[in-house]
Formats: sequence, C-alpha cells, structure tokens
Amino acid sequence: MIQLNEITKKYSNFAAVERLNLSVEKGEVFGFIGPNGAGKTTTIKMMGGVLEPTSGTVTIAGTNMQDQPEEAKSKIGYIPDRPYLYEKLTGMEFLRFTADLYGVSANGFHKKAIRILEMFSLADWSDELIESYSHGMRQRLIMSAALLHDPEVIIVDEPMVGLDPAAIIMVKKLFRRLAQKGVTVFMSTHTLKVAEDICDRIGIIHKGRLIASGTTKDLQREANVTDADLEKVFLNLTNNVLEQNS
Amino acid sequence: MNDVLTLLKPRIWPLQQRGFSNNKRGGAIKVLLIGAIGALFWGGIFAVSMRVLYYFKGIEEIGDILGYKLLSMILIISFALLIFSSILTSLSKLYLSRDLFLVHSMPVSSYKIFLSRWVDSIIDSSWMVLVFTLPVFIAYGIIYQSGAFYYANFLFAMLSLAINASAISTFVVMAAVILIPATRMKSIFIFMGILFFVIIYLAIRLLRPELLVDPEVFDTVLVYMTSLQTPSSPYLPSTWVYDSIKTSLTGSVTGGLFHNVLSWSFAGTFAFVLVVVADKIYFRGFSKTQTAAARVFKKARTSERIFNFLPGPVKSFTVKEIKTFLRDQTQWSQLFLIAALIVIYIYNFKVLPLEKSPIKTIYLQNLFSFLNTGLALFVLTAITARFAYPAVSQEREAFWLVKSSPISLKTFLWIKFFIYYLPLLILTEILIVATNILLQVTPFMMALSTITVFFLVPGIVAMGIGLGAAYPDFKAENPNQTVTSFGGLVFMIVCAGYIGLVIVIEAGPVYNLFMADIRGKTLTPVTWIWIIGSFTVTLVFSLVAIAFPMRFGERRLAKLLT
Repeated sequence: MIQLNEITKKYSNFAAVERLNLSVEKGEVFGFIGPNGAGKTTTIKMMGGVLEPTSGTVTIAGTNMQDQPEEAKSKIGYIPDRPYLYEKLTGMEFLRFTADLYGVSANGFHKKAIRILEMFSLADWSDELIESYSHGMRQRLIMSAALLHDPEVIIVDEPMVGLDPAAIIMVKKLFRRLAQKGVTVFMSTHTLKVAEDICDRIGIIHKGRLIASGTTKDLQREANVTDADLEKVFLNLTNNVLEQNS
Repeated sequence: MNDVLTLLKPRIWPLQQRGFSNNKRGGAIKVLLIGAIGALFWGGIFAVSMRVLYYFKGIEEIGDILGYKLLSMILIISFALLIFSSILTSLSKLYLSRDLFLVHSMPVSSYKIFLSRWVDSIIDSSWMVLVFTLPVFIAYGIIYQSGAFYYANFLFAMLSLAINASAISTFVVMAAVILIPATRMKSIFIFMGILFFVIIYLAIRLLRPELLVDPEVFDTVLVYMTSLQTPSSPYLPSTWVYDSIKTSLTGSVTGGLFHNVLSWSFAGTFAFVLVVVADKIYFRGFSKTQTAAARVFKKARTSERIFNFLPGPVKSFTVKEIKTFLRDQTQWSQLFLIAALIVIYIYNFKVLPLEKSPIKTIYLQNLFSFLNTGLALFVLTAITARFAYPAVSQEREAFWLVKSSPISLKTFLWIKFFIYYLPLLILTEILIVATNILLQVTPFMMALSTITVFFLVPGIVAMGIGLGAAYPDFKAENPNQTVTSFGGLVFMIVCAGYIGLVIVIEAGPVYNLFMADIRGKTLTPVTWIWIIGSFTVTLVFSLVAIAFPMRFGERRLAKLLT
C-alpha cells in the first residue's frame, strides 16, 4: 500500500533522509520512531506529497507520487505535527472545505461531519472560529478532516501531541479499527508506548537511514535484548549506530 | 538595565548577522534596488523642499511667514504620523508579538520587559518618519544659512518628538487594552485612523482647493494672512519642537536649547510615569490579550450554496477565500479606504473645469478619457497589490493544506486568479464607464477604453497572483507586510511598465481613429495596417501578461517548496 523506494532528501550537502526503502501493507499500522532530527518528519512530508524527494520514488496505493501527485494525495489522509489551519473558518466550514477539495459528495456530508466531530468531542465547537480553538482541539479537527474522505492511507506525524488522555485512547482505538477495515496507517511518534501498543510493525530511523524494522519481537532480537521494552530496544539500536559511527 | 539590554539582544543580533552574511543570491540586488528607490525618494523630497523654500524666501513680506507655516505643518503632520504609527507598533510589540509568551515566562520584571519593548517600538515606529523628514530640515538649514547648532538641535528635537509621540500612544494603548482585548483594539485603531484620514481627505477635496488659485475667488487675502500667523497650541509637543527649530534657524542658541530641553523634559517625565504605570498594569493587559477573540457576527449559512455550480476544489477555495476575507476586520478598513478613494476619483472628473480650457472641449474630454484608461489601470494595480498579490502568502502556515491536497499548484493559482479577477474587472469597468459618462466622451472612446480595460485586467491580476506566488511570505502577519516586500515592488514596477507600454502603443492609432471619426474622414490603408498591427500587439501582450507570470509563479513556488 505504501512503497518507499530509495528515497533521499538533501538540503544543500546535508542528507536528511538517505536511500530509504520501506514497504507497508494494506491494513497495517506502521510506527516510525527515531531520535530528534532523525528524518521522521521529512519522510512523512515526502509521503504526503508536501515535499519533493531529491531522488527515489514514493508509491501510495499503486500511484506514484511524482507522476500523479493529485491522484496519490486523494488517497491519503495527511495529519501534520503542527496544526496550522485557516483561523477565520469555523470547524464545520473547515470540514466542508476539505470535503469539497477531496470531492466528498454533498449528500450526507453534514451527517458524516457531525458524526466525526462527535467522535472527536468537537460537535459543540463546530460553529466557532478555529482561532478560538486550543492546540489539542486543532489537532482533533485536522484528524476529523483527514478521515472525511475515507482515505486508503493515513499518514500522521506525532498524532498524540497536544491530545488529552481520553483522546489518546480514542485515537489508538480508532487507528486499530481503521486498520481492521483495510486502511493503512503510517505514524511517526516519540511515544514508544503508543508504538508498542498499536503498531503491527515499527521502523527505526536514525540520521536519515532506516536502521531496523519489524515487529517488537524482531527488534528485540536485532538489539540483542530479550523481554525488554521498546524503550530499551530503541536506545540499544540507536546507541549501536552511534558507537559504530564514532 | 542589564536585563533590558539582554531583552533587546534578540532584536539586535539578527541585524548584525544579516549585515555580515548577506551573501544570498539576489540579496544584494534587492538591497540595491530598494536602497536606490529610497535614495531617489529622499533626493526628491530634498529637491522639492529646496525649490519651495527658495521660492518662499523670495517673496517679500510673507516669505518667512510661509516658510515657518510650512515648518509648523510638517511638524504637526509628522507628530500625527508618529502617534498613529506608535499606536500600532506598541500594540504589536507589547501585546501581540509571538515571542511574548517566552519573554514573560522568564525571571524578569514586567516593567523591564515593557521598557525593552517600548525602546524597540520607538525605533520601529519612528525611523521612517525621521529619515524622510531629514531632507526637509536640511533644506531649511541651507536656505536659512544656519550654523552647525541648527543641525544638531533639530536632530535632538526630532528624537524627543518621536519619544513623546510614542510615550503618549503607548500610554493610551496600555489603558485601552485593560478595557478591550489587544486583538480587537488593533482593528479599531486601524479603522479609526483610516476613517480620520478619509474624512480629512474628503473634506479637503470637497472644499475644492483648486479654487484658491482662481483670482476671482481669492479675494480674502487679509483673512488668509491672519490665519497663517495663528500660532499652534502651546500644549502640543510638536509646538515645542517647532519653536526650538524655528529659533535655532535664526541662530539663537539659547532659544533653541530652551525649547529643546522643554521637549526633552516632557519626554523624561512621561517615560518615568510610563514605566511606573507599566509596572502596575502592563502584565494585566497582556494576560487579558490571551483570552480568545469573540466573533463580531455569528453564524450565517447563506453564501455557500450560490457556488454549488463550481467544481469541488474551486468552490472550496472560493468559499474559504471570501469568508476569511470578510471575517478579517483589518480588511474592512482597507475596503472602506478604497471605496472612499474611488468616490474621490470619480468626483474629480465631475469637477474638471474643461470649459475654461483654451483647447476645444471635445478633444480634451476624449484625451482625458484615453489617459483615464491608464489612470484607472494604475488604481487597479494598487488594489491588486493590496488584495491579489498577498493572496498566496495569506495562506500562511496553513499552506500545507494546499500542498497535501489533491490539486496541483497550477490549479490552485488559477483558482486564486479567478477569485480576484471577476470583482476587479467589474470594479475597473465601473470606474471607466462612470468617469467616461461624466466626461461625456464619444461612443468610440467609450468602447475603446472599456475593451482595453477588459483585456488588461486579467494580465494585471495574473501578475499579482503570479508574482505573489513567486515571492511568497508565509510568515507575514498581514497583507501590507507582503506588499511592501521585494516581490511587491517588482509587481508594481512590472505593472506600471505594462500599462505604460500599452498606452504608448495605442496612442497613435487611437488619435487617428478619433480624428477620422469626428471629422468624418476615411483612413488610408497604411494607417489601417498600423492600427490593426498595434491592437494585435496589445492583444499579444495581454495574453503573454496572463500566461507568463502565472507560469513563473507556479514554477518558482514549486521550487521554493522543495
């Protein structure tokens, strides 16, 4: 469903992401973890069609992002880490805007929008301007908008930042439920517990390179730690790379 | 004091770094271009001031009175400008800047934060007024053959004027923010400032000052002379500066110093009072600013349906653009200002004394109509610069929505184009038809000007959207900031060149056609070829003006995003 083939992103001489190969299957929840500045957001931006790779290809549900960007983007529900929105629209108007943009049928839009807003506890705020929303509410609104067109793939950067505990539990359940319905979820996170709880597979990126990927068990094997939690695995693997580099 | 200096460092350091590392491609060209225009403007003010003062000096009896009256007016206007500019700057610096959260979380007293922000605000709000009044004062010094004391004195006096204006404005702002949140306050002040300007401008225009040069009307010289000698209010800070500069012009050191010290003593006292007051109420006002702004008008689900015939992406951006525009209160004042300027523009044509001209009225009417096409297009350029040019930049940080959406940059830019094209075309055509009716032009000129405008408007709007996309500023806090950037300047220059070129190309053929029309003569085949050739060239230019900027904008924006 998601295919990253040798993607590289360079800023002048600095390679933020280097020759990254990755494949995520339909209905899979894939967690992308790594230290700060490892290249997580850059990778996610390239997958969302927001940033052009220096080389390599991104394929979403069989559509090449470079060749048919509009077609590929219409299959994605993209949720960035920073919830910048149109401040002068209300929550409902923003959903209407997104629906029109993604070609969601006008029939039944309102019902669907209300259902999603209720799921994210935003229904009471639907007619308020976004400028009066808190950080967490904006994040929830972006998630609502991303689900409106029933995307085949959800790409989400740090989904839990700014969310309250109840919303975190709800989002975790939602991602699992969507995956059961065949939606592919690709998420980056710093919260290793979240990755451990809901991801089928996890990829660890460090200095722009994918250093390991697989289930938690696979990663434990690779890190030579048994019965350790993901935090220990993560530290072991990233420290190994540091030691090798030094 | 150390804390205040530390708080100012984030402002000073970037300037130093910019000074040392200005090696970006195109950076030097930008600085040179903007510097050259600034120098040209500065030189122009100096030349005009010299010419006017030289002329005044040559008039017996009232020459000096006129010179001093002009000085007084310049100082009052400068003071008013400083007050207006200080209100907006201090509001932003003290209550709306994004870094205030960080600064207020630091272990520094709020009066120290206030003091650092106030110093910053004084510099930002006054440097332009000070720099561009400088040539006027230098011209005074040269014409009145003043000594070195005069130059030193006016510099200090103007500095005190800037501090006084800023102190008064900041005091008003601090008190007002306690009552009304700063976000709303900014809109109110902008609106009031523009309203004040429009009323003054309308009043002056409707008084028809051109009649003052008509000897038949101008028979009350005595009243005029008396009004010239009326002194300004002794309580105005601009009066102290005026007295100081005027006295030093005549060479009196004691008089100049006395009034200057008077102005500085007010500045010192007010600064002290301001800091004491700030210590009590500044933080309270800042806290109040953090509350969410309430909507002025609630809920109206009307307009969306009328756009249902549009394709989804076009509709979504059209509705978003209109709603965002109408809900942004700073845009209302701009609309208001434009409406007033258009009324005045049309009114000017109503009161043109064409019948008094030695040239036949019919020629003059049609000549004005032709020139008016160019003028109306310049008005359009200004409006496009204010509204269409910042359209891409106004997406601001929410531009990721465009980038991640299933529409191409090309489609996005064309949607923006059509959103602005239709209203701007209607506006310009109204302007042209209304002024032509007032000028009572021939049907030929009416048709020519409306058709010319019809073909030029899309080009100008495309340049606005295209160049706005080529030079975006997603960090700009308001559209004015975007327009005054390098790209805005390029847009204005390119548009002016385009309009001028079309007017020059059309001038000859239009003259021939017009003369043949009113004299009932037929044109030679060569003239016809020339006419058809000229209009074809205009048409080709119009098409290029649409396609090229849009493509340039699309390509440059795409490149900037990688």
